[in-house]
Parts: sequence; structure tokens; C-alpha cells
Amino acid sequence: MHSTQLKMLNDLQALEFTTFDFHLYLDTHPNDQRALAEYARAHCEAERVKDMYTASFGPLTAEDSINQPCWRWIEEPWPWEINY
Amino acid sequence: MEAATQMCMRLAQAYVPFQIFTNRWDPMKALMMGTVFPELYRPYHSKKC
Repeated sequence: MHSTQLKMLNDLQALEFTTFDFHLYLDTHPNDQRALAEYARAHCEAERVKDMYTASFGPLTAEDSINQPCWRWIEEPWPWEINY
Repeated sequence: MEAATQMCMRLAQAYVPFQIFTNRWDPMKALMMGTVFPELYRPYHSKKC
């Protein structure tokens, strides 16, 4: 995997991890306004990076293959094939 | 549980302090540390024999 692609994938993983950690926090602190803002920010940023990644390198998930000429997500390397 | 009650043993009580969000790590650091919240970072250290 090219280093630009790997960097973007790594950024996306970090942002999705952050989004999910705030998700878990908010499950027990639903009125924490700062955490709500952090969750929204991380989520938007993750979506932005994911759109950029899929536009450049193709779909990451099966759902991203919708509106593609074929079932393209299987063309991506599997996680165990990525040399981090 | 029934057996424990019959033996007059006390049930366990758990206490977990409520987390209060103060600081956060940036996403890449959070991914490396396994949490976005510095106060939850508690790595295991191997004991030296």
C-alpha cells in the first residue's frame, strides 16, 4: 500500500476510534456539552477523510460499493495484508 | 447466589467513580494509547522476577 494511502487510512482509523470513544463516554454522560461537540467534530472529520479516501482509493466497505460499476470493495487489501 | 445467601455471606458491592471529562488526546495519540481520555490510561507493567 502506497504511503499516502496508508497515512490517510491511519488518519481515518484514528478519527473513527476517537468518535467511538466519545460515543461510549456519551452513553453514560448524555448531557456533557463539550463531549457532544467533540463527538460531532470527530464524526464530521472522519466522514470527510473517509470521502476523500474512497474518492482516491476506492470503497472501504461493502456499502461504499453502491453506485460502483462492480462489487469493488473486495479489491481493497484485507486488514491482514496491510503492512503498517 | 442462593448458596452464598444460605451461608450468610455478604454480597459484593462495586464502586466505580464517575468519570469527568477534562482533557483529551488527539486522534492519533488516542489510537496508540487505546483511549482518548488521559485519565483512563492505565498500562499494565510486567513484573520483573
